Amino acid sequence: MTTTESAQPVAASVRPPAGSRRTPAAHGERPLRLVVVTTVTVAILALVAWPIVAALLGSLHDWNPLNGTYRWVGTANYRRLFADPVFWTSSVNTVVFMAGAIIGRVVLGMALAYAVHSSLTRVRTLHRTLLYLPTVTPLVAVAYVWRLMYNPQFGAVNSILGLDVNWLYDSRFALPAVMVMTIWKDFGFGVILYLAGLYALPADVLEAAQVDGAGAWARFRRVIWPMLRPTTLFVVVTSMIGYLQAFVQVFVLTDGGPGDSTSLLPYLIYQQAFVKYNFGYASAAAFVLFVATAALTVLSFRAQRGPWRGKAQ
Amino acid sequence: MRRRIASICLNTGLLAVSAVTIFPFVWMLMSSFKNADEIASVDQHLLPRVWTLANYRSIQEHFDVVRLFGNSLLLSVAITGIAVYTSLLGGYVFGKYRFRGRGPLFALVLATMMIPWAVVLIPRYTMFTGAGLQDSYASIIIPAAISSFGIFLMRQSMDNVPDEVLEAARIDGASELYIFHRIVAPLSVNAISALAIFQFLWVWEDYLWPYLMLTTPSKQVLAVGLTTFSGQYSTDYGGLFAATTVSIIPVVIVYVIFQKRFVAGAASAAVKG
Repeated sequence: MTTTESAQPVAASVRPPAGSRRTPAAHGERPLRLVVVTTVTVAILALVAWPIVAALLGSLHDWNPLNGTYRWVGTANYRRLFADPVFWTSSVNTVVFMAGAIIGRVVLGMALAYAVHSSLTRVRTLHRTLLYLPTVTPLVAVAYVWRLMYNPQFGAVNSILGLDVNWLYDSRFALPAVMVMTIWKDFGFGVILYLAGLYALPADVLEAAQVDGAGAWARFRRVIWPMLRPTTLFVVVTSMIGYLQAFVQVFVLTDGGPGDSTSLLPYLIYQQAFVKYNFGYASAAAFVLFVATAALTVLSFRAQRGPWRGKAQ
Repeated sequence: MRRRIASICLNTGLLAVSAVTIFPFVWMLMSSFKNADEIASVDQHLLPRVWTLANYRSIQEHFDVVRLFGNSLLLSVAITGIAVYTSLLGGYVFGKYRFRGRGPLFALVLATMMIPWAVVLIPRYTMFTGAGLQDSYASIIIPAAISSFGIFLMRQSMDNVPDEVLEAARIDGASELYIFHRIVAPLSVNAISALAIFQFLWVWEDYLWPYLMLTTPSKQVLAVGLTTFSGQYSTDYGGLFAATTVSIIPVVIVYVIFQKRFVAGAASAAVKG
């Protein structure tokens, strides 16, 4: 940077006052800015905006690309959807699955992050590496590993627990089994985020609490939990968006069965579209999922602004 | 003394949780070297009594796993390269330039991260098949070429690039592309590595889109090959163990090598958000 040394004070003196909306050196920016803004806009329009409009339009049609049907039917797909017991089972399953997986991720994530944070420095990296490993491995492959683990004949789950349960073919256990696999796969993300949150905490606050004689639980309850609220919000919102779209684990582990006991909304959409070729019906279900996702996301951010925020910020 | 005991308990507990976490991987790896009798046996042991490579030979015979592995590798590397470059460029423009419409457009980029794939899947499918792109790698690469998450992550990392350095370079007459390649990119190396690993993993594990778009079996990716293999040879458990091992191990190796940057990257997405 030797060549810039003489120029730097000059640059600093011509620098516009803070908060100015003008850029310091506008020359040459324009072409690059134009290319990027145009590309991003075109990509969003072509790959996101138009598909959403097309899905909405498609949901109002009897639509089968196999035989070329595309016939206006108004709200018939939605009426059929809301009268379909599989839709309601799938919706309840989706909510149960999402709630269980989020609670697992938050509880395990925070507890283990707190444990790793308080553990010996020497082993911290090792634990962090191991706990995050399932999160960074391909979902399709680990879902197969778990399918084999749940095998009633030779699977590790029954061998270790000394049970004789057909996990994936018993409607009482199939959804919990899918949830356990998902929690195992994803809790590491919670650990990493909470660890980052813990490192960002001001050390003096924790020390002050310790000096004041607060026990481990009181420190957690009164100091750490409230101060980690922004992290919790982030984990909850991203998990919600993610788990409302969970598909691969159901596809690999159970195919929605036995019965409809593990059918989640994305699985129903996939089935209707690419197995039964009811694109209109599937689009209606997809649009309901879209509205639900948007509503839940908005609600969570509202909640943050409300009582959630507390003293953390 | 009490603190010492507490510390020992905590570390033992953590070690136990870590062991449980990696157990499925160990079990899969060990089982992939067992013969069929031992896999189906009621009396299970973690280590194989007789080590065999038969399962790995069997998957190569049944589906060309080397070929599919190569396809996945090619697509993952190509898409990762493209997406990291476009994300860095997007992050630079959104992070360092001031222009009208920047706020709303960036908000729009963020909003696309919240769109469920199920909503855009069907129209995209009809668009790409309608454009005659089915069974081409273009259909896999185009939707992944620009990443909202990538632009978001890179914009976050632009705080590490001081405005003064950019100004100084501009006054020295450096072109914007020179600044981008010689100053911005080298200063973003942590974010680049984090995004590269994320992106690589996403392409590597992507299942549904390649499954719908690629129709020629030899062009298929490994994740889809895995499900096809499992469907056709549903009783070849040894093969399934070997095939899943092949599709997991490369990612594990990449992760273990780069884990420090990866963890930092994952955390930075949230903390500064």
